[in-house]
Amino acid sequence: MLDFLQQSLPVADWVEGFTDWLTRTFAGFFSALQHGGQFLMDGMTGLLTVIPPLLFIVVLTAAAFFISNKKWGLTLFTLIGLLFIYNQGLWSDLMSTVTLVLLSSVLSIIIGVPLGILMAKKETAKTIITPILDFMQTMPGFVYLIPAVAFFGIGMVPGVFASVIFALPPTVRFTNLGIRQIPKELVEASDSFGGTGRQKLFKLELPLAKSTILAGINQTTMLALSMVVIASMIGAPGLGRGVLSALQRAQVGNGFVNGLALVILAIIVDRFTQNINKPKQQAKKTAASRKKIGGIIAAAAAVLLLLGAFALNGNNQASKGTINLSYVEWDTEVASTHVVGEVLKEMGYDVNLTPLDNAIMWESVVNGESDGMVSAWLPNTHQAQYAQYKDQVEDLGVNLEGAKVGLVVPDYMDVESIEDLSDQANQTITGIEPGAGVVNAAEKTVQEYPNLADWHVATSSSGAMTVALGQAIQTKQPIVITGWSPHWMFAKYGLKYLEDPKGAMGQAETIHTIVRKGLKEDQPDAYNVLDNFNWTQKDMEDVMLAINDGENPEDAAKDWVKAHPDQVNDWKK
Amino acid sequence: MSKVKVEQLTKIFGKRQQQALAMIKENKDKTEILEKTGATVGVYDASFEVNEGEIFVVMGLSGSGKSTMIRLLNRLIDPTSGEIYIDGQDIAKMDKEELREVRRHKINMVFQNFGLFPHRTILENTEYGLEVRGVPKEERQQLAEQALDNSGLLSFKDQFPSQLSGGMQQRVGLARALANDPEILLMDEAFSALDPLIRREMQDELLDLQSNVQKTIIFITHDLNEALRIGDRIALMKDGQIMQIGTGEEILTHPANQYVRDFVEDVDRSKVLTAQNIMVPALTANIEVDGPNVALNRMRKEEVSMLLVVDRKRKLKGSLTADSALEARRKNLPLSDVIDKNVRTIPKDMLVTDIFNLIFDSPTPLAVVEGDRLEGVVIRGSVLESLADHQEEEGVTVDA
Repeated sequence: MLDFLQQSLPVADWVEGFTDWLTRTFAGFFSALQHGGQFLMDGMTGLLTVIPPLLFIVVLTAAAFFISNKKWGLTLFTLIGLLFIYNQGLWSDLMSTVTLVLLSSVLSIIIGVPLGILMAKKETAKTIITPILDFMQTMPGFVYLIPAVAFFGIGMVPGVFASVIFALPPTVRFTNLGIRQIPKELVEASDSFGGTGRQKLFKLELPLAKSTILAGINQTTMLALSMVVIASMIGAPGLGRGVLSALQRAQVGNGFVNGLALVILAIIVDRFTQNINKPKQQAKKTAASRKKIGGIIAAAAAVLLLLGAFALNGNNQASKGTINLSYVEWDTEVASTHVVGEVLKEMGYDVNLTPLDNAIMWESVVNGESDGMVSAWLPNTHQAQYAQYKDQVEDLGVNLEGAKVGLVVPDYMDVESIEDLSDQANQTITGIEPGAGVVNAAEKTVQEYPNLADWHVATSSSGAMTVALGQAIQTKQPIVITGWSPHWMFAKYGLKYLEDPKGAMGQAETIHTIVRKGLKEDQPDAYNVLDNFNWTQKDMEDVMLAINDGENPEDAAKDWVKAHPDQVNDWKK
Repeated sequence: MSKVKVEQLTKIFGKRQQQALAMIKENKDKTEILEKTGATVGVYDASFEVNEGEIFVVMGLSGSGKSTMIRLLNRLIDPTSGEIYIDGQDIAKMDKEELREVRRHKINMVFQNFGLFPHRTILENTEYGLEVRGVPKEERQQLAEQALDNSGLLSFKDQFPSQLSGGMQQRVGLARALANDPEILLMDEAFSALDPLIRREMQDELLDLQSNVQKTIIFITHDLNEALRIGDRIALMKDGQIMQIGTGEEILTHPANQYVRDFVEDVDRSKVLTAQNIMVPALTANIEVDGPNVALNRMRKEEVSMLLVVDRKRKLKGSLTADSALEARRKNLPLSDVIDKNVRTIPKDMLVTDIFNLIFDSPTPLAVVEGDRLEGVVIRGSVLESLADHQEEEGVTVDA
């Protein structure tokens, strides 16, 4: 017994083993789902983005007008809110988000309503399902991302998977509640006339529970919306990505605009679903307005279909194919990946750039979901990932020399070496994302230096770290950060690396380009560009500074590509 | 041959039913069994027969098991043991399919709170039974409209239940059951949720209906008067067991045991009856505000030909006959000019035997007063009734 208390149970290993087994056993099934889902979602997003935004806004505004029973509040809000999103250039992100929310909600309904009915009919089912629902609702949404990536790789499919798990419970609960709340006498009445179970369900229970079920569905859509931001960590496109990258790069303004767009979408979705749920005023009246709404929807659908047909005809430009590049939301990688992406675009490729978490980025190249990345810091920072995956990817070599990681302090602090640290900065090293290589190196460093025995590494995000640094420097407070170059912060503030006599943070590093196996056969031209891509710290810092001064990454990359035609041509050879 | 025959029907809810059964045999009461075993006795060892075309009333206080009983008859609740024969078939042993057929064609139910579907119109409610049977739409609507027409509700067919009064809703509930043309009608406290006036109306309607359609009706109520008005035979239940079955007359005259006797509101013989035990509320006109028209109106409504007249403090002023009220209306006089101030009054604690002597030569009811405040009136009928009971009881010993 005491033994049992002293030895921790290998629960993590069990779960790991189980997930691996699932992934292996159902690999075919998952990949079919992944491809089918991806195709469906791309098609849907494509269709939604093909419709001219302004026309779409008009249609939605008209729908809002009729759905809200000709009230001006919601109508105006819809119009102004959507125009704002369009004006901020977030329209295609919005459409991706809508696709994600719509699919998650629809799936939740398809799975949830039958489950709710089962729960209401069978006590045993209720006893079994209720704790599972509690578990699903309280488990942090992040946790679902891990198996989602293992099963479905990166992109929208795992996002939907995670959202469904997270958003399903309200629909199930409310369906169960709605059916159980029906007065017993009515159920007895149906039975006493010899109604079958099916007749009872469709003629009595579902119609009466409808408004409760719709309330649950409304909750579900809201939860799916909240998962959108979290799912963007595993590459789900949409507004969430903007929020996340704003967080990682500490851009208050960008975060606010993306967040506001989500709020507008949430309010519109919420009011739409609530208004559908309005109880009948008078049967005849609603029948008339139903016809109206039906007419509007039909007309809108016709318009959309026409447009879709046009668009598909017009969209058949020859494309050389699609290249998926993934990267980590560090300022260095944002710069380099956008530049490479820009070059590939000019060559006629469709390029998707997906920001991911570090470990997931590696994994996505391993499974071939990303064609490559230019963000592998070797030999030290990404040592763990490289060791794990090096046989499953192709290393195209260095794209930037002399990158360096280390512990960095402001130059007003009188420490020169890691060994001089004692009790400064609350004995805290301010780090970045928990999965990042530099954080692992810092943790190793803390263990190797005896004087750091009481120190710990506080993880946050790259953006949060630079904000904390800026604040410390403003107030002349001591701070120790996990730093790396090239980085714009060295241009902006007076900083210095601490000497690392034990070499625990690694020596000067190089950034490598890593691509999936088989890219050379599939896309030789793109492979060639990735293979030739290399530049200097100076180049990179130019782009980084431009981005940090508020230019958007794509434009900064374009400017740099324009300014360095010779270098770019060298890559294309 | 009887239409419905129930033999040794028992229903126990909950766990440890064997133990509960054993305790019933020892004559333990319901609450004790519940405390000991956690099992509730719904119905225990009930046997009775209902004949074709009969209104059979099951009566009892709440918790006596009468609602469970009626639900056992169409197996909304499955019996623990016993047999229920309908037309000689034991429905307790039927499978789902056979049972469904019986419910669809033979036996229908009317509920206490009407059991109407709020999301369906009156017509859609009425045709429900036919709809689940799979009758084609045209035909079932025709039948449903016919049933609604019979209860005078056809004009409301496109309304929703919430737009109708309670009485109308219950008529719909009845029409819904009758649209199926069942042989047996189960009515579970069907009129309990209605106010007393509508209740009487519905009882009359049910009796009219019964004289036309000759259904077998099993009617549940907790109201003795209702049972006496409509029941051909009455079964009285207590704690899940049937105490007595018989006609209303039998139950009133030969109560099988103490419980039945108490239930039929037998007056406590340990006290001697006085005026206040037998008086009924007085019908009055207020001399300070009412005129002859109001008084006449009230007489018409209450179906009487005289009223007592009081002032605002309920002090007795006299009596008013219909003739004198008509006269006052003709001559445009106030009530005070036409009332008869000579009303016989008796005090509250006067004994019935003394009243007996007074009432025989009094043309008007006797006013029961306290001081000069009117409390009620004593009418001839109530005196006779009380005396008749009294004489009958002479031979019966009473547990004090």
